[in-house]
Amino acid sequence: MKQTFRVPDMHCPACVMHLEGLEDTLPGIRRVAASYRKQRLEVEYDTAQVSEAQIVAAAEALGYKLASDGERQT
Amino acid sequence: MEQIMLAFVTGLTTGGLSCLAVQGGLLTTALAPPVPQSAPAKRKRRKRGKSAVPPPDDAPQAVPILLFLAAKLVAYTLLGLLLGALGAMLQLTALTRALLLIAIGVFMIGNGLRMLDMHPIFRYFAFEPPAFARRYLRKAGKRGADALTPLILGALTVLIPCGVTQAMMALALGTGHALQAAGLMAAFTLGSSVVFFIVVYLATRMGALLEKNFARAVAVVLLVLGLVSVDSGLNLMGSPVSLARWTQTMSSSASLETPALTDAASEAEENDLYITVLNTSYVPATLRARANVPSRLTFVTDNVFSCALALVIPELRIEEMLPVTGEVTFEIPPQPPGKVLRYSCSMGMYVGEVVFD
Repeated sequence: MKQTFRVPDMHCPACVMHLEGLEDTLPGIRRVAASYRKQRLEVEYDTAQVSEAQIVAAAEALGYKLASDGERQT
Repeated sequence: MEQIMLAFVTGLTTGGLSCLAVQGGLLTTALAPPVPQSAPAKRKRRKRGKSAVPPPDDAPQAVPILLFLAAKLVAYTLLGLLLGALGAMLQLTALTRALLLIAIGVFMIGNGLRMLDMHPIFRYFAFEPPAFARRYLRKAGKRGADALTPLILGALTVLIPCGVTQAMMALALGTGHALQAAGLMAAFTLGSSVVFFIVVYLATRMGALLEKNFARAVAVVLLVLGLVSVDSGLNLMGSPVSLARWTQTMSSSASLETPALTDAASEAEENDLYITVLNTSYVPATLRARANVPSRLTFVTDNVFSCALALVIPELRIEEMLPVTGEVTFEIPPQPPGKVLRYSCSMGMYVGEVVFD
């Protein structure tokens, strides 16, 4: 599954690195690509190992609220 | 020297916190203990002491922080050297330096407005490290706390400069002088290192907290520095519109302007003009001279050690390094009435003018 989130809380390019760290902390995450300029987070993950809710919760623990912008590819 | 001091103070204040926000995470990751402690060992330690103060082995260690900062200092000094050499290779004339200063100013103002979140378009002023660099840094940060890791990470911070550092890098390029640029970057990094060390050593989380609360202050400082840079560029171009010239006009009428020409001076066949160069100004700031006759414009220095020595008269394409003590005279062809000949130091910080009427 590939899903894109809006991240309105990103306030500097360092946030990109913080968020991309999700790749190392959550199981089942294949790739995370964040963009400060677009305020977007693109996550490729295995739905069998991790859920959208878990990703949202992990980002929130880092201080970022994710809002799904409806873009999903399976 | 003034620029070096300014760079150090910028590093010590806004630069330190700004860098900490961007690069602090890397350092704290590198300081993590390499081997996880076993549960019994942790239990034993808890039994030994009930104090809320964390035991020494859990606290950030001074040596890795110093290694990280030393590598960062070396890396940024070398970067400054390269940027200065690049600026020198480009053989910057007064005009290109002026344009560069204006561009640097616009960059700083854009970053300041970005930090104040004025409009999404200002996000394009931020440098985003490429994806491969971000990934590499993340992986390197997870390697553990051997002696080499903080050294590597410190050096790699050149890949993730904060907004203030980027502004300083642009300034280094603008110097057009390798050693001066290296000194500028070294002073800035040294200043920011003090903040970095204190905050990381005392409390790793404090940096983020401070950065959040002081982000607006950093933005305001960037806006001010940006405006100063644009103003310097305008002065260096000999523009009649600049903040420095406006403030000079406001103050010169009271004390610095020369009196009206005497009858004897009016009858002379040429203007003999003298300007005293001080460390922070040219006196008088506005000098009146007769139009349509040649002029001898003499700059007098006496133990001057500032950039006021690097004189630029854009319209006459004069770029001259004045002696620390002495006199330098320029022959100026007759000028039409109403003509204003503007000059400044090579940084566009100190300005003056000769009005022909």
